[in-house]
Amino acid sequence: MNDDFPVDEVDMAIVEKLRLNGRATNQQIADMLELTAATVSARIRRMEKANKLRVVAVSDFAAHGFNVLMQVAIEVDGRPASEVVNELAEFPEVFAAHLVTGRYDIDMLVALHDFDDLSALLLEKFSQVQGIRSMVPAIAVDVIKYKFDIAPIDAKEAM
Amino acid sequence: MTAPHLDQLDHQLIQILSLDARISNRKIAAELGVTEGTVRGRIKKLQQDGMIAFTAITSLGLVDSRKLAFIGVQADVNRVKEIATEIAELAAVNAVMITMGRFNILVFGLFSELDKLHDVASDQILAIKDVHHVETSIAVKTVKYNSRIVRITKPSKPE
Repeated sequence: MNDDFPVDEVDMAIVEKLRLNGRATNQQIADMLELTAATVSARIRRMEKANKLRVVAVSDFAAHGFNVLMQVAIEVDGRPASEVVNELAEFPEVFAAHLVTGRYDIDMLVALHDFDDLSALLLEKFSQVQGIRSMVPAIAVDVIKYKFDIAPIDAKEAM
Repeated sequence: MTAPHLDQLDHQLIQILSLDARISNRKIAAELGVTEGTVRGRIKKLQQDGMIAFTAITSLGLVDSRKLAFIGVQADVNRVKEIATEIAELAAVNAVMITMGRFNILVFGLFSELDKLHDVASDQILAIKDVHHVETSIAVKTVKYNSRIVRITKPSKPE
């Protein structure tokens, strides 16, 4: 099958319904869009096979016991930022890590169970990484919006 | 917010559904050796508690190489919640958090062109009353990202 098929309006309409409720049955989606359940099922499968779509449950940080979220900006010195970020990305507390432009070189999202975990993270883990000149945290006190439904889909992900 | 306690079965459900949310309750029940009713009840509870949400993640649009950008905002502390809520209403913005740090609001968005980012940061956000300063930074490379663990925010309607 050609993985690079063009996504048409029917596909997009189905994706819109799935964004609102990923557990809607094929029949429910079919009824809303005046299609057949077989068409809905085939369209979803085709997009999934081509790694264009995943219908998934996302879980809250709190479901995993993470009660502290912080965004950390890092300035690198004396070592390529791409090396530093690879090392930092290996820590399980680091949920996202990006190389960025601007005053800082790396931006990352860190999640902790509570503030007591911060000293171990800083003194036992981050301190072992060479090339960090400074770290500036921004502690999330309230998340007003969090809506990322576009993401690279890893072909290795189980279907 | 104190998170409800999740047991091993809840975590197994989250694990299965994070790979494929369209799997039937019957299949999950068989896999975990519990009844369909238990699966249905647990999923409903997890959803009601805001621990999980079902959505569609697509890689559509990634071909146009949209870049993640961070916008740091400095705004009057006594109006920070109102301003963050106002920023969250912008369609181009994916996430907004109130933080303690160099900025008091952090904004995340995916932008296909630099002038779109500039428009949001310098024309729309900076124009909001009591916003004093914005700084932008662009992610040139994402080394780590977990699209399955998120902050599930409640719809902002009832208040």
